[in-house]
Amino acid sequence: MTNFRHIKKGPRRTDGALIVTGRADFTGDISLPGMLFGKILRSPYPHARIVEINTEKAKKLEGVKEVITGKDIGYRRFSFIDTPAFPADQTPLAVDKVRFVGEGVAAVAAISEDIAVTALHLIDVKYEELPPVFDPEEAMKDGAPAVHETIEPNTTTAWEDFGIPSTKSRPYKAVNNISNRNLIEYGDIGKGFEDADYLKEDRFEIPSTSHMAMEPHAAVASYQPTGKLDVWLSHMGFEHKRFWLAKLLDMPISRVRVHKTYVGGAFGGKISIFPYEFIAAYLSRLTLRPLKITLTREEVFCVCPPSRRMIVYLKTGVKKDGTITAQQVKVIDDVGAYRGSSPTALYLAHVFRNPIYNIPNLKHEGYGVYTNKLYTTAKRGHGLQQIVFAVESQLDMICDELGLDKVEMRLKNFRKKGDTLPNGDMLRSYGLPECLEEAAKKIGWREKYGKKKFRGLGIGTASMFSGAHNFPFSSAAMIRLNQDGRMILYTGQAEFGNGVDTVMAQIAAEVLDCPLDYVIVNSGDSEVSPHDLGNWLSGGVFVSGEAVRRAALDLKDQMLQHAAAGLDIPVEDLSIRDGWIIPGSDESKKLSFSDISRYGIQMAGGDPLIGKGFSKCVPEVYFWKGKFNKTASLSSGKGRFTEAYGLTLAIAEVEVNPNTGEVEIVEVVLADDCGTPINVKSVEGQIMSQAVMGIGDVFYEEVKIKNGIVMNPNLLEYRVPTANDIPKITSIIVDSYEPNGPFGAKEVGESPRAAAISAIANAICNAIGERIYTLPMTGDRIMEALHSKNT
Amino acid sequence: MKRSVLLSVNGERREVFIKPNSTLLEVLRDELLLTGAKEACGSGECGACTVLVDGKPVNSCITLAMEAEGKAIETIEGLSKEGKLHPLQEAFIDHHAFQCGFCTPGMIMSAKAFLKRSPEPTKEEIRNAISGNICRCTGYENAVDAILDTAVGTEK
Repeated sequence: MTNFRHIKKGPRRTDGALIVTGRADFTGDISLPGMLFGKILRSPYPHARIVEINTEKAKKLEGVKEVITGKDIGYRRFSFIDTPAFPADQTPLAVDKVRFVGEGVAAVAAISEDIAVTALHLIDVKYEELPPVFDPEEAMKDGAPAVHETIEPNTTTAWEDFGIPSTKSRPYKAVNNISNRNLIEYGDIGKGFEDADYLKEDRFEIPSTSHMAMEPHAAVASYQPTGKLDVWLSHMGFEHKRFWLAKLLDMPISRVRVHKTYVGGAFGGKISIFPYEFIAAYLSRLTLRPLKITLTREEVFCVCPPSRRMIVYLKTGVKKDGTITAQQVKVIDDVGAYRGSSPTALYLAHVFRNPIYNIPNLKHEGYGVYTNKLYTTAKRGHGLQQIVFAVESQLDMICDELGLDKVEMRLKNFRKKGDTLPNGDMLRSYGLPECLEEAAKKIGWREKYGKKKFRGLGIGTASMFSGAHNFPFSSAAMIRLNQDGRMILYTGQAEFGNGVDTVMAQIAAEVLDCPLDYVIVNSGDSEVSPHDLGNWLSGGVFVSGEAVRRAALDLKDQMLQHAAAGLDIPVEDLSIRDGWIIPGSDESKKLSFSDISRYGIQMAGGDPLIGKGFSKCVPEVYFWKGKFNKTASLSSGKGRFTEAYGLTLAIAEVEVNPNTGEVEIVEVVLADDCGTPINVKSVEGQIMSQAVMGIGDVFYEEVKIKNGIVMNPNLLEYRVPTANDIPKITSIIVDSYEPNGPFGAKEVGESPRAAAISAIANAICNAIGERIYTLPMTGDRIMEALHSKNT
Repeated sequence: MKRSVLLSVNGERREVFIKPNSTLLEVLRDELLLTGAKEACGSGECGACTVLVDGKPVNSCITLAMEAEGKAIETIEGLSKEGKLHPLQEAFIDHHAFQCGFCTPGMIMSAKAFLKRSPEPTKEEIRNAISGNICRCTGYENAVDAILDTAVGTEK
């Protein structure tokens, strides 16, 4: 490969000095003149009808500017996924009844947070309690309490607004509390099981965990008398936010400006609109004053959706030699009070692992089920770690029972580079086998496996999209040459810890062969940045990075054209090196970027030189005027999904103390095929980050809900890994070179977590010689498993 | 009843008019507009609000502002001197010791106090010193390296 100037290096973050001096502005740091503060009154009941709300006393409190209830806002519905088949089911404040403890019923705008809190106590809500349902499998039974009545959509759905033509959205009636379902099939499942020598069936249960982003959710909204809304939010991309704010407030999208903010961690949890964001905007419009809502940590735990709770029934058939012949999956997704992202999650639970194993006959069915609990959402590998935990646990059990080597068995079943998946996606780059071999070598699998009592080794796998087909998963970028020869790059990417500004600057500076500080990045401002869907489904580098690369190429081309005209030599004789435009080999005639800017203005009719680039994740997918091409169906899993998959293989070694159930991680090795690592340090950071998050998932993290109430809504009771909990973690980057990615790059931000969880979980079970079918694997559960083995 | 309190913040005398139950974090952020210290948990469990009071790291979200009267308060905003970043700040950038950066000001302040009392620390001691500063992004090791690097640098 080429010798890169910036790519595959680890330059410092271009915005590092802002972060370390405390001058990076997060939403909570934004303060505007005349700003009011908002607070939300929340339901104490998991399921109850709202009989009456009296706000008179609260309205009379000095300093209170406005009090609203769900009735004032009405049925303005929103959802993470809002399709004609699955129309939005949530309202910013409950209108008729509450469906989970913590659901908002009224909101206050006041001149201080203290006054707003006092006013909440003066609001009198009369509820009529209804029987709740908490267990999803109970909720699916006939006669269970109905969480939702028929949902009557009263606007177009988001997908219709994004251009998918459809018959008008239809009412949704949840039968047996089923909020959504999917069925993906290929091959012949019956024949696949017949061909198997050995069948294994198990049930796994994976709880919700919190994203626990360090920044508590906040919103600042400022509605201008001119009819424009300015907002500062904790988010992962402005398009979704401004779309929903505009739709819910019934105003043009272009009049909603999502300003650039630093975002204190997101991990998939800040994609779609939150009720408090709408309420902030709504109250700002009512009062014509800026308004801020900051959630407390307890509110974040109790009312912001954590990861999806899933029950996975899994049946796998294998030949004696370990070849997988068929797999049947049934996922029950306990969505909670609102459907949220469940249709996506049930589909992703299949498609994210599709590139891992070659399973010729497959049936994957999923059910989203309403319960009277906190609703749930995406978290770093949406649906991936749940399904991977089940599949990898079961494969280990199969290997144990058939006496197969766990490395060889997986190598035998992996897909291969160049394979086309059942939906048509191609594996143009595929480093998973190499990842396994390298990780096994690094940890010493063959020397160590089964050699020491209470020591265990475990393997985990994962794969992840590099952006997706759905919505307009596309991005554009502009790069403008200034008279000093420096460039301003405009991208819609959001900075939430991913280091996008630096990565995008690296890509542009690589194309233009100039120092990194020639590129100044302006990111994440919906009024300034061109279209960008956002940084989720791990499309940041693959989609937006490619748009940046093309914008830089466009600018380079324009610069060379002007240089050729200015020097009167053919453009083919010019090159850019080290920030100079050099004619042939004659260094003495070289032009600076600054010269080109001046040439454009003086000699080319004032041409300011602006490069433009755009990119779409799966170019062949489109819908236009009633025509569809290869658009994916969430329900049937048909159609194209993505253009490139990132892959991770993790191996963990642990030692368990049989007397206490305590586990010591000896080492976790993660081998990641992310294509070309644009910023090696950032890639290593992403891998490390997810390994540590995975340690939390395996050992202690769970949002505990009892009778609908979150029992551990603070950091004393919800433990996350600290600096003292970090074992030896080794990352190996397997650079497979993805031909369609910018400089060969693809995903890295989500798959390592799922791989780490499964590897550590399998290692624990290997060490104790017993299977634990759920997470987290606490000391108690490990002791219980050891006891059940001995009795 | 509000009362007037004289605070010394980053060497500057600042008079504020505050309620007796105002936390130091509220006063720093809302009255003095020093927003580097962050509120992440509001109950002293995560360290994002760490500032130094007479050189000792405190969780400013559970420290009353009035308790800090007459003491030297140091925040992240006071760390860089004469237009230059503090060596810890440089090391954090060099080592990619942050991702989202929300916990970084607090962690750097903890590290500063720690290096003052333990100028030649081991990695283990550094891990202990920042174990009250929760970071959800990085996995901590780059921060440990940054702090170690600063300590070694100071020795020279």
